[in-house]
Amino acid sequence: MTTSEGSSISKYAAVYVALLVIMGAQFLIGYQNISGGQLVTRFFTFAVIETILVVLFFMNLGSEKPLFIKFVVYFTLFVLACMNYPWTDSFRLLVFRLTGFSPS
Amino acid sequence: MSEAHLTMGAHSAAPMEAPPFAIPSKKLAMWLFIMSDVMTFAACVVAYAFARNASPDWPRPFHSVTSVAVMTVIMLTSALTMLIALKAAKMSDKAGCFRWMMITAAAGALFTILHIRDWMNMMNQGVGLFQNPWGPAAFGAAFYTITGFSLLHISVGTLAVIVVAIRYQGGRYNADDIEIVSIFWQFIGLVWLFIVPVVYLMNMAR
Repeated sequence: MTTSEGSSISKYAAVYVALLVIMGAQFLIGYQNISGGQLVTRFFTFAVIETILVVLFFMNLGSEKPLFIKFVVYFTLFVLACMNYPWTDSFRLLVFRLTGFSPS
Repeated sequence: MSEAHLTMGAHSAAPMEAPPFAIPSKKLAMWLFIMSDVMTFAACVVAYAFARNASPDWPRPFHSVTSVAVMTVIMLTSALTMLIALKAAKMSDKAGCFRWMMITAAAGALFTILHIRDWMNMMNQGVGLFQNPWGPAAFGAAFYTITGFSLLHISVGTLAVIVVAIRYQGGRYNADDIEIVSIFWQFIGLVWLFIVPVVYLMNMAR
């Protein structure tokens, strides 16, 4: 094995260990008795870090052409952002169900 | 010489058009597939989160997530073995690549078995697609849809890894094909990293 091949496997191993640590932290948080909002915030933060690590290093997007990276990132983020329009409606439904109010 | 022959000759002499974004077409196709798959998974997760957020009595049935933790370690380890297989392929180490891909496929198969076992446990507790003993009926449909879609990807991915490994060993595929199946495998691993907190950790009994 050449030095560069060995170093790239070391890089993958380091990312693997980092992902294991992050997942371990998520499991620890899962067992804690904290509010839903805090859980979502922490899990989302960890998920973003995991995504960056996996996409850049494991899927090797970081070694592609900058134009292609921009295309993938911008397009995917735009679509994901567009999917988040119904949250206000879910909170409205929650309030209706908690208060027993039914809009006529 | 006919006009058709002349036209064909002109085409064969013309330089090939460069692939978009200067990456191989097969890899571009895989990335486009992954981007469309991201939308499908995101739609499932958003629908699940919508139903959960709008239901004050959403069940929290998971007392222990040990099996999920084991499945996560298996998935992450298989991602690493897939990358080692890719490195071996790039070094033209056919035997090494085949061996690591088979280890990856074995991890995928083990993950699938554990996942089905997890499903059987849920079914034994009375969780079906349209009913469960705890609360909103949507819980079962949402749970089985998200985890089932992931399970389908991992099962198909395992088969794809085996097929590509055999064809690579036989000389029909090269390192580029290994890289493409590797990108898909990493993607389904990443999806699992999202499913664990959303489906399991957010719904632990406290």
